[in-house]
This record gives sequence, structure tokens and C-alpha cells, in this order.
Amino acid sequence: MQTIGILLARSTFYHTIGFDLYEGLRQRLKQLGRSDIKIVTENIGFGADKQQCYRSAEKLLLEENVSLVIAYIGHRTAQLLRPLFLSANKMLIVLDAGANLPQEWSASPNIFYHSLHNSLGAWLAAKQAVKDGYKNGGMVTGYYDGGYLQTFSISKGFEGAGGKICFNHATGYKKEDFTMLPLKSFLKEFDNTALLTLFSGDYMQWNFEEIRETINKNTPIYLSPFGFEETMLETAIHPNTKTKGVAAWAKSIKNDENSLFIETIESIGRTPNLFSLLSWESAQIALKVLDLLNANNNNILLTAQDLYTFEFDSPRGKIKFHAETNTSIGQLYNAEIIASNDGKCQVRIDEAIIDTAEEFETMTQLELDNISSAWHNSYTCI
Amino acid sequence: MEKQKKIIVLCGGKFAFQSLQALAYEKFLCGVGIGKGNNRITDALERESQDNHMAFKSFPDKKSINEMRAWLDEVQPDYIFSISFPFLIPEDVLSYGHEKFINFHPGPLPQYRGPMPIFEVLKNQETQTAICAHLMSSTFDQGNIIFNDIVQIENKDNYGRLAVKLSNRMAHTVLNMANMVQFASTIPNKPQEESEAYYFEKPDFTDTYINWRRMGAEEIISLINACNPWNIGADATFQGEQVKIIAASIVDESHKSKTPGTIVSLTTENSINIACSDDKQITIEIMSTDDGIIASKQFNPHRYLIGACFN
Repeated sequence: MQTIGILLARSTFYHTIGFDLYEGLRQRLKQLGRSDIKIVTENIGFGADKQQCYRSAEKLLLEENVSLVIAYIGHRTAQLLRPLFLSANKMLIVLDAGANLPQEWSASPNIFYHSLHNSLGAWLAAKQAVKDGYKNGGMVTGYYDGGYLQTFSISKGFEGAGGKICFNHATGYKKEDFTMLPLKSFLKEFDNTALLTLFSGDYMQWNFEEIRETINKNTPIYLSPFGFEETMLETAIHPNTKTKGVAAWAKSIKNDENSLFIETIESIGRTPNLFSLLSWESAQIALKVLDLLNANNNNILLTAQDLYTFEFDSPRGKIKFHAETNTSIGQLYNAEIIASNDGKCQVRIDEAIIDTAEEFETMTQLELDNISSAWHNSYTCI
Repeated sequence: MEKQKKIIVLCGGKFAFQSLQALAYEKFLCGVGIGKGNNRITDALERESQDNHMAFKSFPDKKSINEMRAWLDEVQPDYIFSISFPFLIPEDVLSYGHEKFINFHPGPLPQYRGPMPIFEVLKNQETQTAICAHLMSSTFDQGNIIFNDIVQIENKDNYGRLAVKLSNRMAHTVLNMANMVQFASTIPNKPQEESEAYYFEKPDFTDTYINWRRMGAEEIISLINACNPWNIGADATFQGEQVKIIAASIVDESHKSKTPGTIVSLTTENSINIACSDDKQITIEIMSTDDGIIASKQFNPHRYLIGACFN
């Protein structure tokens, strides 16, 4: 029997994340007729404790003898685990929120990144804002979300398209410190301004509440993919201003794969979300890796080369790999958040973005100018 | 959280600088030993070590290795990392601790043992090389392998460029290894596959000399890249004069059965096209001659070249 290991993170505001990651993988394997594959889990907390991450991965490899490991971690933790996987000649599939930009897009044949592309989505949303006619931008984020280099991609995306970042507002991470009041004076000072907004989880809800109270209807908000996370939006009050951006996935995307994903996850009494989506998709990558390892006599280099040409249809559209960075490229969508009948938020997908691979290539060429992120934990895992 | 591991790095010079910085930044580094280093680099390392309250020791020759064990006993590192350290570590030093000495070899093992794997992988037209982390034994490059960290080789890479690339990558690999010794319950390692092993001696003139009769255009270009800059370029003889070809590129054009080594034509930019054994040509861009390092157009005016032969 083959065994897949999965490192599960936890999060206080996405408290089902561990179950979502596990069930996404398990249900897709079952749906693909591979219930014979055993899944072994290990907990990595918030993903910030190096020792816990390393020991959990080590346990899966050395004690459980898993064939490969799937982990919801970032680039930095993946780098920490790199020598272990090289030494064990095993493959690590990183489920990556894509909120950070790594210091080095290094391509180790043992590590493949399956990404939700939050930074790329932020980059594209910022460009869209300029295209929509907004030359002034204010970056709005918080102590937590602003610690990831999605802040760099959203700013560079806006400036690269011809816009100017006129102000930055990073609010506190406790409810009592969370405020959008400073935006009032900024928006008085700068006309024709778009708010380039980076939040996730509860922060997104707090942001909408405050925005609704603070700014006028004419100031648009542009969001990254985690701003379109639907379980959070279901209970969020609509901010009462034009709110758009780039989504990685939504329940309303029309294709057979998405219908199957939603039906399957709902049939076990769970709500499909970005995390169950990511691990659902990873099942197909994992099965391909297992086949390739078998065909290539466990030669990781040959397996990695073969994986570069692997493509599959997923609930969010076609997924393929960018060989220079070992990162999957998925479909992204221009989307808008509209008010539901009860004044809450819902996602409206407007159109698929056609050139995500080219945009990703451009974004990976960004020079980080010696900036770095101090956050080690998996994105949204606080 | 376990106590931070203390690591000494034994190095041979500036190739290790980025690794030293990375380890120091993450507070793993407790001392630096340099072997056979030139005065400027040794002085700089000693000064930096003093400023950062780290142990420092210079090992200028083989004999001075006798002092290493006492130094280690005094500093008491948890691990000793070696990055291009030029001397073999003897058994009595290795006995400081089982699996405590880790070497970072700038080439894949066991296939590229020896002192200059960067030269050998380029000469052999490999498309990728590796940094191999392995446990040290009392023979060069033969200890158990922990991992080979792959590095891609690009067409434009010569020895100098690849060395810089490996030095940059080395810093990441060394830091990853430091994290491994910090967090791992055991350091996974396995014996080298002797059937795949090869030891390359330090290259001599026969290794850097272009054999026009035997070598094809791509082989010659690879040799030129492998020799630049440590040997200045690949060695050749022209009309009795020893020259070194520093930069050249392939001309995918038949030379119509000319003797390999023959100058077939001069380009409009006055580069020199030479016949190779595989019916392709190379065009020489830069050479080192008795006149100094020159572009090939500067070589032209002195002699009648077409039909003359390199050998």
C-alpha cells in the first residue's frame, strides 16, 4: 500500500483548515478510485516553529515511510525541509497560498509548489486598477497580512502599470486596534484614488465594516485572491463601494470539475473553500508523481522533468507548471464582490484572465531590493 | 527549543564568504579556520572574526593541521563545516566527534570527486552540477552522502560564472544543512556508490590543451569555458607560440574537410574561424598571446592567417 503524508497547519480564523486540507485530498483520491492510498497526517501548528515542521516531516519520511509529502507551508519552511527531502530522495508538494515572494525562486527537483497565487492576484488587481483609470493608489493592509511580500507585488504592479502609491495604511491586528479612520484624511488629500487592499480571514470582515462607515461610495477597493474567500464573505457586510479584484476560485465558476468538487465536499457536510480546493487539486499532482516515480525507478530528476509537462483540469481551470520555479500556474479571474439580498457579500466572476503565466514570469523577475518578510508561518495560520 | 548549534567553518577563501555571512546572520557560526589563504583574505577574516567575537585560526600549510585538534577542543563546536578547505583532515582531528565533520563539495558525488569539479563538469558538457553535502572521512570526497543539491549549468557559464553561482547557492545549502543539524533527530546519510565514483586529479596541461584532431566544436567550447579564468583560457599552439583561447563560439557551418585546427576564414569583424574535427567551426573572440590578452581582430594584422593551423 502506498502512503501519502500531509502536514496540516492550524489557524484561529480559518479553524477548519486542517480538516479542509485533509478532506480535499482524501475525497479527491477516493473520487479518482484510489482509496487504497493511505494518508498519514502530522500537525505543524501555525507552521512557524521550525523544529516542529522539521520533526513532523522527518517523522513522515523516516517512521511512516511515506511515498511523498504534501504540506501547507511557505517557501521558507520548504527551504528548511529541502535537505531532508533531498537526502530521503522523496518529493514534497507544497500547498502555497502564494502570499509571499521568496528571496530566491530556486527550483529543487524535490519540491513543487502548488499555489493559490495571492501575490500574483494582487499584482494583477493593481494593474487592473490603473487600467480602470485610477492613477493614485493607497495600499491598505494590516500588521499580519502586510508582513508578507504580497505588499511588494501589489505596489510594484500598480507602479509598473503607471500608477503612483500615494499612501500606505497598515492597521493593528487586534480588533480594538483595527481602524480605517486614517483613510479619510488620505482620501481628502489624494483624488481619484483606489484602495489596494490586502487582508484575509476576519480582517477582511473588519475591513469591510470599517470601510462602510469611513469612506464614500466613489472610492473603489481592489482585492487579492484571499479577499474573495467565500466562507469569510458569507458573513461579511458589503462595504457599500465598488469592490473588485482578482479571484483564484469561486463556487460560481462554471465547469464540470468545479461542480464535482463542490458536490463531493458538500456531500460530506463540509463547505468547499480555498484550502479544500488546493488539496483536492494536489491529489492529481500526487498521483502523477507516484506514477512518474514508479516509471522512472524513483529517479527524482527524471520525475521532475516529466512533471513540467503535466497539465490537468481543475475546479478553477487548467493547471500547468512553470519549470523555472517548479510552481503550478492556475487560472485567475477578474471578479467583483456584490451585495446579496441580506447585505452580505458574494462573489461574481466576470472573466478569466488569459495571460497568467506571462504575468507570473514577469513577477518572478522582480528584484526584491533587499526587502524580506519576517513571517515564517503558513499564510492565514495565526 | 533546543540550544542553538555552534558551527566552525573551515574554508579556503572567498568562495565561502557568503556561506559565512549566512551562518553568522543566523547565529550558527562560532569560528572560522582558513587553509592556505592569501594574506589579504586571511587578515580580513581574522578581523571580522575578532569584531564578532568568534574564534579564528589560520592553517597556512599541511604541518599546521597538527594544531587543529587543540583548537577544536578549545572552541568546542557542535559541528565543523568544510567549504573548499585545501587540506585533508587527519583521523586524530576527525575523532573530535562522530558525524560532526561535513564537507560541501562543489560537484556531484560520487561522480566528480577531486579538487576541481567545476572544471570537470564544464569540460564534460554536463547540463547540471550539484553541491554535495557529505560526512568527512580520512580520504578526500569519500564520506557518506547526505544530499546532492542540484544546480543548473547554462550555456553561457564559464568556470568563473559557475563558481560565483555555486558560491551563492552554497550559502543556501550550508544554511539548510545548519538547520538540519539543528532540528534533525538523525542526519540521514548513505555510503557512496563506488561503481559510479570517479576521482579527477587536478587538471594539468594535457587536460587544458585543445586536441584539434580529436575534439569537436562543442567539446572545444566547453574546454575553453572550463578554463576561463583560472587557467586564463584553453591551451593551444599557433605557429610555435603558446596561446590560450579565452572566448569563442560555435559556427555551425561545414569547413569542407579542412584539417582540424586550420583557419578557414576571417569574419567581417575579423574574428578567426577554425575547422574542428566534426565538420563544424569555432570563431575565436579573445585570446591570450605573447602580446597580451587581445581580441582576435588585433591578432589579425600581424600575419597571413587563412590556411595557417592551430595545433
